[in-house]
Amino acid sequence: MNTQRAHSSEFRLLVTPLVLFLLVFLGFPAIVNLIYSISDVSFETLRQPRITGLSNFAAVWNDSAFWQASWFSLRFGVLTALLECGLGLFLAIFLSPLIERRSWLMAILMLPLMVAPALVGLMYRLVLHEFAGPVPYYLWAWFGASFSFLGPTSAFWTLIVVETLQWTPFALLLFYMAYRAIPTEIVEASAMDGARRWHLLWFIELPLMAPTIVVALLIRFIDGFRVFDNVYVLTGSGPGGSTASLSIYIYEAFFKQGAIGKAVAASVILFAVSFAVLYGLNLIASRRKGAVK
Amino acid sequence: MINALRWLIFAIAALGMNFPILVTLATSFKSARELSTNPGLWVQAPTLDNYFAVFQVSDRLNIFLYLFNSITVAFIGTTLAVVLALPAAYAIARGKLGERTLLPFIVNLRAVPLIIFAIPLYMMFQWLALLDTRLGLGLILSIVNLPLALVILVNAIRDLPAELDEAALMDGASRAQILLSVIAPVCRPAIVTSLIFGFITAWNEFLFGLMLTTSKAVPITVGASFFFAASGGGVQWGVASAVMVVGALPPILLGLIMYRQISGSMTAGAVKG
Repeated sequence: MNTQRAHSSEFRLLVTPLVLFLLVFLGFPAIVNLIYSISDVSFETLRQPRITGLSNFAAVWNDSAFWQASWFSLRFGVLTALLECGLGLFLAIFLSPLIERRSWLMAILMLPLMVAPALVGLMYRLVLHEFAGPVPYYLWAWFGASFSFLGPTSAFWTLIVVETLQWTPFALLLFYMAYRAIPTEIVEASAMDGARRWHLLWFIELPLMAPTIVVALLIRFIDGFRVFDNVYVLTGSGPGGSTASLSIYIYEAFFKQGAIGKAVAASVILFAVSFAVLYGLNLIASRRKGAVK
Repeated sequence: MINALRWLIFAIAALGMNFPILVTLATSFKSARELSTNPGLWVQAPTLDNYFAVFQVSDRLNIFLYLFNSITVAFIGTTLAVVLALPAAYAIARGKLGERTLLPFIVNLRAVPLIIFAIPLYMMFQWLALLDTRLGLGLILSIVNLPLALVILVNAIRDLPAELDEAALMDGASRAQILLSVIAPVCRPAIVTSLIFGFITAWNEFLFGLMLTTSKAVPITVGASFFFAASGGGVQWGVASAVMVVGALPPILLGLIMYRQISGSMTAGAVKG
């Protein structure tokens, strides 16, 4: 018993550095966030914030730009997650006979994942540029007309395509691994029973991949929801804030408008919502695990 | 027949998803004159002039500094994350310490929009004089890298047989000694994977680089955009392309060399996390 306790104190010592680090670099900022969000604060009064109550939250709540940004982030997250996972699922299953024998094909498909999203965004400034960009060039050459890709109505869809093309490989990779992990006996047994290819896919393979599909949708939604880099370098907040994600909204409130209170209050709202959602998901996940056991 | 279709789809997917990279690569070898007449994917008269221009240091632009900054902050952000995560992973996997609190909390961190911590961190860095320093940015990047490093290492240690520890415990070794002399050597593949994955993530990070640095510690992802605004007039697309190629090359090369390990760890973080 005594040695047991000695061990647990040894283990505690091993976790301590990480916990201290998190307390300093996440715990402290979280507290500062909370205090500033209920204070009247400016760059001159950073050290003496005056607690004023919920006026910052009210300012955010009544700011139509905040709701516009929330709506953008939500739509962007949902659409890119669906597109990336749909495309990735198709490619993973359809191309798996090729990739199985030549794994370097996967390396080519994975390349976009290695490039900084900020750089990819900058690259599209070139790709879509009306004089120097190949896309407008070929559109003119082949169809005699081009298109304003970053205009007020089209920018959203251009950004969706940019994000989807870069991150579909992530879904593809996940689904390919899950697809390959399906035990061959199951597939062979149902083939013996005379199951057709489509039935096999729909009733056997896809259900077995379902957990991975859910995880991929979730991860891609989260990354789409909090998008910053590629949108920021391509369109910024866009005409009339039409392409401001929540991350861009907070960034601009702080750095461009100096509205510390508003930026911090928006951060706290985002913080609360993400933790509520994540907590709920964990709860569901652990309950399901318990049910299986 | 169906195989031909598969190759066709592969070609379209590979071309479509890598399209910006290919365009940038082609453009980086074009002279300004060629660019004005030929924006297509083909290079008629390849030239290295854009690369020479990129590596020309001026008082406004210094690519050597940006690259050095990126290497340094990625190095700090990666090693610090692993140094913090390895002992914690050991305690979580073997001591069952924080398995239900700390581990899920850190794993969830991967899903939290980190901008919510950005503003207080900016102020904190101002007080601590860490703004625009490589150390400061490196510290933050280690937070970005922590979740995946922890998951990879916890999974690796869980897969080790418990007899490994017990034998060493019998010999009277302390947990810290076991970690250093028994566990760490066996976990080397997992450690290398988290280092490489962390390096790519840190190299590619943009948001904190943009907010926490202004001149001395600017990383390449932020510095690359400076070249777009250079020289008054319009963007020099050839030079801008060369910068982007230089900035994208290190993680691409790392990724190509290590893509098996990387694909494995991506799924680890996704499926088990």
